[in-house]
Amino acid sequence: MSNFLQYTIFGVMLGAGYAIAATGLVVTYTTAGVFNFAQGAIGMVAAFLYWELTIQCHVGVVLSLFILLVGGSIVSGLVVEGALMRRLHGATAERPVMVTLGVMVILTGLAAIIWSPTTQRTVNNMVSGQFSLAGINIQYQEVLIIGVALVVAAGLRFLFVSTRPGYALRAVVDDPELLALAGVSPNRMSQYGWVLGSMMAGLSGILLAPTQTTGLNIEAMTLLVVSGYAAAIVGRLRSIPVTFIAAIAIGLAQNYISNYVLPHLSQSLGTDLTYALPMIFLFLALVTLPSVRLRASGRLSAVRTPRVATRNESLVGGLVFFGICIVFALVYNGTIYNGTTLLNLGGLVLVLGIVGLSIVLVTGYSGQVSLCQFSFMGIGAFVMGKVAGGGSVAGLILSGVVCALIGALVALPTIRLSGLYLALATFAFADAVVTGYFNDGSVYGGGGLNIGRIVLPGLSFGGDAAEFLLVAAFFVASAWFVLAVRRSRFGRRLVAVSDSPAAYATVGLNIGITKVTVFAVGAAMAGVAGALYGTVQQTVGTSDFDLFPGIIFVLFVVIWSVRTASGAFLAALTYVVLNQLWPSGLGIFAGIGVILIGRAASGILGLEVFRINWPWLHTSGSADLADGAEEDVYVPSTTGDVRVPG
Amino acid sequence: MSPVDPPAIGPDMGADPAALVVSGVVVQFGGVRALGDVHLSVAAGKVTGLIGPNGAGKTTLFNVIGGLQRPNEGRVFLFGEDITKKKPHQRARRGLARTFQRLELFGSLSAAHNVQVGLESTDRPWTLSSRTRRSAGTTVPERLAKVGIGVERDRQASEMPTGTARLVELARALAIGPKVLLLDEPGSGLDETESEALGDLLVDLSGDGVAVLLVEHDMELVMRVCDYIYVLDFGQIIASGTPDEIRTNAKVQAAYLGAQEPAEGDRDPSSESSAVGSEAAPA
Repeated sequence: MSNFLQYTIFGVMLGAGYAIAATGLVVTYTTAGVFNFAQGAIGMVAAFLYWELTIQCHVGVVLSLFILLVGGSIVSGLVVEGALMRRLHGATAERPVMVTLGVMVILTGLAAIIWSPTTQRTVNNMVSGQFSLAGINIQYQEVLIIGVALVVAAGLRFLFVSTRPGYALRAVVDDPELLALAGVSPNRMSQYGWVLGSMMAGLSGILLAPTQTTGLNIEAMTLLVVSGYAAAIVGRLRSIPVTFIAAIAIGLAQNYISNYVLPHLSQSLGTDLTYALPMIFLFLALVTLPSVRLRASGRLSAVRTPRVATRNESLVGGLVFFGICIVFALVYNGTIYNGTTLLNLGGLVLVLGIVGLSIVLVTGYSGQVSLCQFSFMGIGAFVMGKVAGGGSVAGLILSGVVCALIGALVALPTIRLSGLYLALATFAFADAVVTGYFNDGSVYGGGGLNIGRIVLPGLSFGGDAAEFLLVAAFFVASAWFVLAVRRSRFGRRLVAVSDSPAAYATVGLNIGITKVTVFAVGAAMAGVAGALYGTVQQTVGTSDFDLFPGIIFVLFVVIWSVRTASGAFLAALTYVVLNQLWPSGLGIFAGIGVILIGRAASGILGLEVFRINWPWLHTSGSADLADGAEEDVYVPSTTGDVRVPG
Repeated sequence: MSPVDPPAIGPDMGADPAALVVSGVVVQFGGVRALGDVHLSVAAGKVTGLIGPNGAGKTTLFNVIGGLQRPNEGRVFLFGEDITKKKPHQRARRGLARTFQRLELFGSLSAAHNVQVGLESTDRPWTLSSRTRRSAGTTVPERLAKVGIGVERDRQASEMPTGTARLVELARALAIGPKVLLLDEPGSGLDETESEALGDLLVDLSGDGVAVLLVEHDMELVMRVCDYIYVLDFGQIIASGTPDEIRTNAKVQAAYLGAQEPAEGDRDPSSESSAVGSEAAPA
C-alpha cells in the first residue's frame, strides 16, 4: 500500500511536470496557431543553463530562475516570434512545423557542442528535505512541482477565460484582422503567446531536471516532454483543464506501468517499453481523438509552384544523370576518402536521394509532414537482412511491401485528423520504433545486421562500381516514378488535396484514401531505399535510423526544394557531405537553413538566382526549373491576409 | 433509401420530389444560434434564391447541406434520401456540387487542372488514363468556355483575379455533373457583363434540369434568374415566395431590402469560427 502511494505521488509529480510543458504548448497553439515542436528542446536548454548557473556559477536558485524564466523566456519568445514565425505569414501549412523542428535541431546541436556528454551533470532539487505522511515519504520538491503546475494551470485558465487580454489572446488565431480592427495588435498577442510558451517550457525542463538521476542527457531531456505533447493532444490543444488532467493521468500511468508491469517482463522488453511509453501514449492520444471537422480555409495556396517536368524532359534528364554516374564510377573507382570508398559515399547519397524523393511525394506534393522516413528505411534494411540471408531481390521487394503496409497503418489517423496530427504521429512512431525496436539487441544484433550485396544470376554487385550504378539506376527510376506520379491524375489529386481539402471533398473525392495511399507509397520508397542502404553498407547498425537525423534530413529537403527531384538529390548530397565534414554541425546547418528559407515554398532551388537554366539541374529530372524561378506570390484571400494556422 | 419522407415545404412542385430538402435544421455555435429550425426545398430545373443580410446564416446553411457542418438538429434530403450523416464526398457523388464564398480553389494547379480534377472525380484507380487524356483535350476547355474563360486556362489558379477565379470554381463544380448546385455569392467580383453571362448560365443550367440554390447579394441578378426565393434573417426563414412576392413583402423590406445595402467585405460570422468560445478545432 505504501509503495502504491509512493508511486502515486511520484506519478502525480511527473504528470505535473508534463502538465506545465503541455499547457505551454496549448498557450502557444491558441495564441500563435503553431504547435511548437521545440518545446522539449527549450526545456532541455533551460535545464542545462540552470545547471550552469546554480552548480557551475553558484548563482542562487531564485536569481537563476528569474534570469532563465523571465529574461530567457522573453528573449527566446520574442526572437522565435519576431525573427522566425512572423516571416511565415502566408507560407504553406507545413512550414511552421518545419521551422519549430529547425529550432529543435539547432538547440540540440548547440547543446551537444557546448555540453559534452562525457561530463555528468546532475541538478539538485530546488528544495531539499522531505516529510512523512501516512507512512510515505514525500519530498518537498514533489510538492513544489505539483503546486507550481496547479498554479500555472489555474492562472492560465483564469487569464484565458476571465480576462480581456485572455480573450484577445485566444481571438488572434481565429481572426487576426478582426482583432486588429478591435484595436489589438495580433503580432503583440502572438509575442505574448510565445513568451508564455517558452516560460512554461523552461519551467518544466528545470523542474523535471532533478528526476534525471543519472545526469542530464540532451536527447532524453528533449524528449522528456513528449508525454506533455500527448496531454496537449488529449486537450485538443485548446483546453487547459483537460490538458492538465490528461498530463497527471499520463504521469500516473507511466509510473504505475514502469513499477508494476515492466518488472514482470523480460529485461530487454522492459527497457524498450520504458523508453517507448511516452510515444505510445502520444500515438494512443492521436488515434483516439474525435475527428477534426473539415473546414473551408478561406485562403488560396499562396505560392507559385514550379512547372512539372514533361515526360521527355525527365527521360533525358535521368539518362544524362545516369551517364554522369557512370563517369563518376569509372573515375573514382577505388578512391578512398576518410576510410570509406568514394563510391560508397556516392551510393549513400543516392540512397538518401530516394528517401528525399519519397519526401517530395509525401510532403512536397500532398502536403503531409512525415518525420519517420528514416524509420521506414530501418525497417526496409531489417527486412532485407532477414529475408533469404540478405542481398536478395525478394528481400528488396518485400522491404517495400512491408513498409507500405506499416506506412498505411501509421497514416490511418490522418483519415480523421489534420496534418499536424500526422506529423506528431510520425514523430511518435519514429521514436518508438528506434527506442523500442531498433535498439533492442535481438533486432539488429549487437554489432549490426549483415545484409551483403545483391547477387543476380550471372550478375554480381559485389564491386563498388557495380553497386554504385545499381543504386544510381534505382535513384533515376525513383525520380521518373515520382515525376510521372505528379503528371498523372493521382498527382493532380495530391496537389488538390493539399491545396484545399474542403474543395477536394466537395468535388466527390475521398481525402482519407488519397492521403493514406500516398503515405504508403512514400513509405515503400523509403523501405526500398533502406534495403539498398543495407546493400551499400553491407552491415547496418542500430543507430543508423534515429529520429533526429531523420528530422534533419527532412529539413534539408525543405531547404533545397521539397517540390523537385533535384531538391531531393541536393539534400542527400548536403547531408552526406556535411556528415563527413562536421557531423555535429548537421542539425545547426539544417535548422538555420530552414529558418532562412522561411516561407519560400520551393526552397533554395525556387529562388530568383536559379533562374539560370543549368543543364545539370535537369539531371535528376527537375526540369521544372526551366520555366524560371518561382518566387512567393502572396495572394490575399478575398478578405485580405489570413493567418495560416499551423 | 430513406424510409422517412421529406416533408413538403416551399413551392408546390406537383408529384416530383424536391431535389433538395432542408428540414428543421438547427445549428448552434456555443451560445449563438446560427440557424434556428430552417426549412427549405429546392426544385429540379429551378433556380432558388437564398438571400438575407450578412450574418444571417446563409453560408452556415450551405455548409450543413454540403456536409462541412453537422447540424445540431434537423435533416437534409437529396432526392428523397436522408444525407444528413453522409460525408461531403459522398454527397458530391450523389450529385451535389457547391462553390464557396471565400474561394476554395486548388491554388497551385492551373485553371484547367482545377476543372480536370473535378472531371476525373468519378474515375476509379483502374480507369485508363486515355480517357483522362481525351477529357483533357476536349472537355476541360469546353467547361471553361462555358463559364467564359478562354485564354487563361493554363494560368495558376492562385494568381487569377477574384472574378475569374470564381468562374473557375464554378466550372469545377459543373465538371462533376451536378444535379443540385449550391452557389455562394458567385456574382461578387464579376463585372456587369460577366454577371449577366452568369445569370444566363444559371438559367441554362436550370433548363437542363439542374436544381440551383443561389446565395447572392446582387439583387438584380437574384430577381432576374430566381424562380423562388427564401429570405433568411438571424438564422430564421422570415419569408419565401416568387421574386414579385418577395419584392413587396414588408417583413423583407424591413429586414433587408429597405435597410442599408450591406457593406462589401462584411462577413458571415458563422462561416468561420471568429466567435470566441466556438469550436476552434486545430487545423
